[in-house]
Amino acid sequence: MEQVLRKEARKLLEEEKVDYIVGFAPGSLKFSTTPLITKEKEEIASLVINPFIVNNLAKFLTEVRGRVGIVAKGCDSRSIVSLIQDNQVVKEDVVIIGVPCSGLIDIVKVENLVGKDRDEIDDIALQGEKVVVTAGGKKRELPTKEVFFEHCLGCEFPTPQEYDTLIGEPVAALGDKELSRKKIKELQDMTPEQRWAFWKEQFRRCIRCYACRQACPACFCERCFVEESQPQWVSSVPQWQDNLIFQVIRNIHVAGRCTDCGECERVCPQNIPLRSLSKKMSDLVEEMFHYKAGIDRSAPALMSAYEHAEAEDLIR
Amino acid sequence: MTTKKIRKKDIGKLLGIWSQEFSVIVPSKEEGVAKMDRWDGKDISFLDWYRNTVVPSKDNFLPPMEKMFSFQKNRDGYHIEVPQDEQKQLIFGIRPCDARGIAIIDKVFTDTYEDRYYLSKRKNTILIGLSCTNPYDSCFCISLGLKPTESADVDLMFTDMGDEFLIEETADKGEELLAAASVVKEATKADEAKAKTVKATASGMVMRRIDTKDVGEKLQARFSDKDYWEKVAAKCISCGVCTFLCPTCFCFDICDELVKKQGARYRGWDSCSFRLYTKMPMENPREEKWQRVRQKVCHKFEFYPMNYDVIACTGCGRCIRLCPVNWDITQILSRLPGSVTSQSHK
Amino acid sequence: MEHKSEWEPRILGVLCKWCSYAGADLAGTSRKKYPANLRILKVPCSGRVDPLLILKCLRLGFDGVVVSGCHPGDCHYQTGNYRARRRIALTKKFLEYIGIPEERVKASWVSASEGLKFAQVVAEVAKDIEEVGPNKLFARDGD
Repeated sequence: MEQVLRKEARKLLEEEKVDYIVGFAPGSLKFSTTPLITKEKEEIASLVINPFIVNNLAKFLTEVRGRVGIVAKGCDSRSIVSLIQDNQVVKEDVVIIGVPCSGLIDIVKVENLVGKDRDEIDDIALQGEKVVVTAGGKKRELPTKEVFFEHCLGCEFPTPQEYDTLIGEPVAALGDKELSRKKIKELQDMTPEQRWAFWKEQFRRCIRCYACRQACPACFCERCFVEESQPQWVSSVPQWQDNLIFQVIRNIHVAGRCTDCGECERVCPQNIPLRSLSKKMSDLVEEMFHYKAGIDRSAPALMSAYEHAEAEDLIR
Repeated sequence: MTTKKIRKKDIGKLLGIWSQEFSVIVPSKEEGVAKMDRWDGKDISFLDWYRNTVVPSKDNFLPPMEKMFSFQKNRDGYHIEVPQDEQKQLIFGIRPCDARGIAIIDKVFTDTYEDRYYLSKRKNTILIGLSCTNPYDSCFCISLGLKPTESADVDLMFTDMGDEFLIEETADKGEELLAAASVVKEATKADEAKAKTVKATASGMVMRRIDTKDVGEKLQARFSDKDYWEKVAAKCISCGVCTFLCPTCFCFDICDELVKKQGARYRGWDSCSFRLYTKMPMENPREEKWQRVRQKVCHKFEFYPMNYDVIACTGCGRCIRLCPVNWDITQILSRLPGSVTSQSHK
Repeated sequence: MEHKSEWEPRILGVLCKWCSYAGADLAGTSRKKYPANLRILKVPCSGRVDPLLILKCLRLGFDGVVVSGCHPGDCHYQTGNYRARRRIALTKKFLEYIGIPEERVKASWVSASEGLKFAQVVAEVAKDIEEVGPNKLFARDGD
């Protein structure tokens, strides 16, 4: 599959159909990958496809100047479509190299289950529905259900919805609605006071590094509301009240654009369960307005559309 | 200075003795995130799992958010209240890279202006180091003139020899700290030899290297090469993780909060990676991402050494481990024209 | 229901200039009585209301926020209130999920001729917010 991808990417550059290729290359840590943004044909040889291609590369489309050939998993391709719906990206400038994705391994889950950090593990191999982890001479088989990212377990669109080339065959959705919403269900079972107390404690730990916002392709505003000083909506120092408002409003602002790529939660250095907010929001969007982000390129974005009568039960 | 030792299981007792005089801070985990926090009085299990914290110990001296003063206006004028001097604290388990980081940023907070907030904490804090016996593969302290067992920046250095820990006194304070503790014994020559082997093994585990020879000059030669820096910066997403989690980053922003007639002034972490970091009314000198990435690298490896004779990096590797896109400073520096590519990583 | 003494809800009314604000005016000129708990913020259109404003008000200590605009189909700017409807609906439900009672964020359609309705809306909102109690959600620890 990697050979097919590299051939395709090289062809795009050689035929001058794109200026840049954006894909994944091996990372400098074990079991990691890193985004590759390149004009050079020689660097195409390092493109990879493996269970660690976590980044949502659509993020780079709003800053790379020129035509881009971009490697996109299912969630990424929806982010690209969402950007096109919002007129942030012109379809003619993007060649989508679709990569069907049957799920990615969360290295943190593996580390926790095996009791070793990634640099102490010798090998992690995905074999069908299990993952074989070799560490300290011992092999351990873990079911994918326990080591895949939660958002992968609940994925409904593993095969890119929109693509110019597809690398490999379409794959079936894992689509487990329960496993991918465990934390959300726990929160829904709490009282409002308990929920508020939970989020208050979580956001005390936020340091406002903005990794969540920067990793998210849906956050494409040139000037974020947190950067306004006239008026100042949230403090620039990490008071829990403002940390909470930042994240809640961020989720409301990206409603209808979030494709559950899980990056916000993965990149948070403080392990704040951000996906329990973003996934809940996209569930609300689907329940209330029957809309899923990034499915139909020609459809209006969520907040650009309306029905003549909807949500009237919430309005007096 | 003599060397002493203590049994691993007695460390709790020693911390207990210190708790009577200091607020003792040890490695702990919150929601799976390793950090330094107040010792709960009994748990020393961190001696088994601890490698390094996510947020470095600079947060004890320069916290993510700190109140500078509060103020109130009433009929007779303004009243300003400044927080009192910090209570005495003892940080147990700081790694050499983080301790060196504090020594490096000390220079900034004692330069032309003495930062009262930083310094009052600094003078009230004792640093007790813990040698690394299990460095990460992202660590590269050796290249910065450090080792996983470097004791120059701490008051006492503990080294894990198995059932016992060697204790090296590196400052006068050290002797006083150990004076009252009967659980602390004299170390023998055999103990010192054992510790030496442990230390050598630890140093040998640090595989990543960077070439720091003339790095300032090499960077200066590249300064105007926009194409070079655009390539270097391409995958960076301009968040603040690397700078916030760096032991030698110290930038902060100041923010006022006012509600009716009272309020407070706070300071909190800021990052040169943010697009608006250096925006001014007329212009933004670092509007483009490549300019910000260039500034970050040059500040650490060229400008800071120019001002303070020391590279503003301790090789802790957090920026590599926690970067959302695995942007790797060691790769950037080893690919700098003129550098010796001698790093190895799996 | 026992009236809570000492505390009176402080509610922000975000009213669209063309319909709801005019409706509020009419309530006044027609001498319709309604509780004095409402502070009014005039906006050109309910579609201008960013949920950020709602949260900022709760942060500042308002006990509730009510956004009011033209009836669907009647917006002075054609579609502004449709946008408001989607945003506010999502905001209410999302805030409920994080622990902020839905009752603190209200929305209504009040036209320029509905002075009576405006008075009724304010009375209902004030009553609901009284039942939820004072907003201490964002209070600093120790406050």
